[in-house]
Amino acid sequence: MTRFVERYPFWSLLLLIALAILLWLVFATWPPGLEQAIGRKKVFLNAVFNGITLGGLYFLVASGFTLIFGLMRNVNLAHGSLYLFGGYLGYTVSTATGSWLLAFVVAFVVVAAVGVLMQLLVFRYMEGQDLRQTMVTLGLSIVFADLMLWVFGGDFYQVATPAWLVGPMELPFVTAVKSTGETVYLSYPKVRLIIFAGSVVIGIAMWLALHRTRIGMIVRAGVDDRDILAAMGVRIQAVFVGVFAFGAGLAGVAGVVGGTFQSLAPGEDTRFLLDSLVVVILGGMGSIPGAALGAIIVGLSEQLGSVYIPSYAIVVTFLIMVLVLALRPQGLIAAR
Amino acid sequence: MALVQNRGAARAQAFDFGEPAPWIVAVVLILLPLVSNGFFLSEIFGQTLILGVIALSLMFLAGYGGMVSLMQLTIAGVAGYMFALFGVSGSHNISLNWPWWLATPMALALATLFGTVGGALAVRTEGIYTIMITLAIGAAFYFFTNQNYALFNGHTGMNSIETPSFWGVDWRASLPFYYLTLLVAGACYFAVDYLGRAPFGLALQGVRDNPRRMAALGFHVNAHRIAAYAFAAFLAGLGGILQVWNYKQISPGSVSPDACINVLIIAVVGGVTRPVGPFIGAFIFVMLRTFALDFLREIGLDGNRFRLLIGVGFLVIVFWSPDGVIGLWERWRRSHAPARPQGGGGHG
Amino acid sequence: MDSVAQRLANVGSSAALELRGVTRMFGALAALSDVTMTVRPGERRAVLGSNGAGKTTLFNCITGDFLPTSGAIRFFGEDVTSFPPYERIRRGLRRTYQISSLFPGLTVEDNIYLATRGVSRGRFSFLRPGLSDPLKAATRSLIEAVHLTPVAQRKVAELAYGQQRQLEIALALAGAPRFILFDEPAAGLSPTERRELIEILTSLPSHIGYIIIEHDMDVALRVVESVTMMHNGRIFKEGNPQEIEADPEVQELYLGGGHG
Repeated sequence: MTRFVERYPFWSLLLLIALAILLWLVFATWPPGLEQAIGRKKVFLNAVFNGITLGGLYFLVASGFTLIFGLMRNVNLAHGSLYLFGGYLGYTVSTATGSWLLAFVVAFVVVAAVGVLMQLLVFRYMEGQDLRQTMVTLGLSIVFADLMLWVFGGDFYQVATPAWLVGPMELPFVTAVKSTGETVYLSYPKVRLIIFAGSVVIGIAMWLALHRTRIGMIVRAGVDDRDILAAMGVRIQAVFVGVFAFGAGLAGVAGVVGGTFQSLAPGEDTRFLLDSLVVVILGGMGSIPGAALGAIIVGLSEQLGSVYIPSYAIVVTFLIMVLVLALRPQGLIAAR
Repeated sequence: MALVQNRGAARAQAFDFGEPAPWIVAVVLILLPLVSNGFFLSEIFGQTLILGVIALSLMFLAGYGGMVSLMQLTIAGVAGYMFALFGVSGSHNISLNWPWWLATPMALALATLFGTVGGALAVRTEGIYTIMITLAIGAAFYFFTNQNYALFNGHTGMNSIETPSFWGVDWRASLPFYYLTLLVAGACYFAVDYLGRAPFGLALQGVRDNPRRMAALGFHVNAHRIAAYAFAAFLAGLGGILQVWNYKQISPGSVSPDACINVLIIAVVGGVTRPVGPFIGAFIFVMLRTFALDFLREIGLDGNRFRLLIGVGFLVIVFWSPDGVIGLWERWRRSHAPARPQGGGGHG
Repeated sequence: MDSVAQRLANVGSSAALELRGVTRMFGALAALSDVTMTVRPGERRAVLGSNGAGKTTLFNCITGDFLPTSGAIRFFGEDVTSFPPYERIRRGLRRTYQISSLFPGLTVEDNIYLATRGVSRGRFSFLRPGLSDPLKAATRSLIEAVHLTPVAQRKVAELAYGQQRQLEIALALAGAPRFILFDEPAAGLSPTERRELIEILTSLPSHIGYIIIEHDMDVALRVVESVTMMHNGRIFKEGNPQEIEADPEVQELYLGGGHG
């Protein structure tokens, strides 16, 4: 971080100012003039929290995508389908057994198994043909999408929030001060906060696994330089299968999360694939911290955009992507 | 991958006026209206030619340049939307009511600009990113047309778009429109074929095969790539204008990510090594789309499973003939050809 | 071959290629360390050294494939340190690669045509070159110069290894080169092919200078008038071929090890 500040003093200053403004907006009581200009603080806080928790969801989906892309140079365009499949599975399990947690387990295991099959039956035979692998994932995504449409139809499905997580939680952020002098605090859905906390835990666990275990070191080396793996005499296929399975499983888990937060329907697969693309473009290929940063940025820009400039919301996300491509094409947190 | 590898690399050859096949096809296409009715003409052949032109722009980038762009249909959509915006449409609060001969160049220029900027963004990254970035651009445009009412009329899109009518001819009528489309498609086809052996096309193929060497020969590699995107955007724009004249309406559904992927499928299935590939792919796609309902019922499936058919067909091609239909044809030809002495010329 | 003095008198004495304090780091590894050298126009020099001495990195810095971590490079008086490769090539620099870097899907003629095109105007031209196009004529004469006329229409992938190496050289001769970098041009050649290579090198016009990296001492010392020895990214000895061959330090470090 200190190196970043040394090398880019101007940008660091800008970021610091932006961060200071954001923190003030979040923690301070807004003067009436501000509320008149841009709306109520409660709306703003909700948008910010929605954006951050949505970012947690995007992180879950995108981190698997970026690992697969980084290690195996496979742009897995079927990743969105894996997300949706996990979601539908989670819905089925949770309505059948009533257990929300079991839904996660099943989604992870089954979708990871699909990932294992994909790597073993298909991609293993196309070693080194990155473009061809990507084409196959494209074809698979079309087939999966239609199969799911056939089985589940076009309805919107929602995974039920378990009873112990229903309802709001009061957070120590002031939204307003009433005329009686009483402060009103932000009240925010518990489930979203818990899930966000879960994403953070998973993210940290992944980072630790990548940086503190031998397997993690192998994966990181492979992301940096694929040919090195062969030279190291590592059983590459085992690593590839493991990473693909894990990435797919994560997407499945994210599907259950998305089904709880929002809903599941045809088209969500495309939407989450595209969000993963943008997150990875922003964060850099193969980088978990990059995926986290990218996910928060995309989540915030989508939510704030849809609240304040609804007919141009996508433009903001897109402009950020364009900016990163123009100024730092390798991604914000890429090593190079 | 054989899709863009050197082996069967997009081989533009010198015009071989001796080969009968292209002439036969040309004659058939020109005389087609004598034997076929309005539906076939516009829905089958017209769509084949229009989708073929858009897929041709993808073939130019992927086959000659090694860059797989998923935003070609988006660029066509930009041209279509811009024509509706600048020209006359049912959305009176949006359209500027320019005459077609001003709206068309404007739409083409904007579409070309869009594609060039998109290309400039895509070339700054490793090749494998190109698919991601162009798909993201395509998706962003789709969401934008859906959300935005001031320029694109949101989810409904623009209808009742007025098509050109001059020299006493209504160019949207079945017959004139067919010949107009045939003319444009033919011109694009010949342009791409011809360019393959002009410095522009040859340098692009060099950039595809060995960009480092091209730099060491004095070429500004990224400039050539961006120029290729610009040319391909112009082609896609032509297709987009024809399409919006054809349907007289345009909506977000016309530029959805699914539609973008369809164009890739068309190009790959036909084959990206020769300019005729996209048109073959387009013909197959259009036939499938028109007759899939009946075919699916024949084999006992629900008529809605069109995408499943497309997906499976695409997977089959990617697995067994990455060069598409052209690849199949060439393999057939090689296995049936009389033994030739080695080192022949002919293939450019 | 003209005497050295005669050629220098013809060409003038300002430097064709000048490196000052060029260093190139890869992480903590110094592939090149404070390299300073001056090459006169028309001079023929060999850069020798064991594997890992930094020879190819030197070439990559000169052509612009890498930017040096520090130091400056001048080409015919112009500071090209931060120029991209194509700018240097257009000013007369050329390079061949140790592993042939060609266009496998294109014919021999197309390969050479591209080389002539790269250093001329009209790279974006939409018009196919006619039969009387000057670049086409230049292409044909280049093909003859490297004895590849019989295979001019063959795809590169169909050529024999030696023919591919000849094509590699032809690419460097296209246009009006002023200075060429040859990276192990004799690698893998048969004795006959080696003789042909020596003939091509020595019959180059006298104003064209070159640096040649070679492991084959027979070839190297016969086609140059000065030698630079590199070791561990640094220049450790310079002199003429006879001096270098006789030098005991060089023998111990390099020649004694059975390099062919």
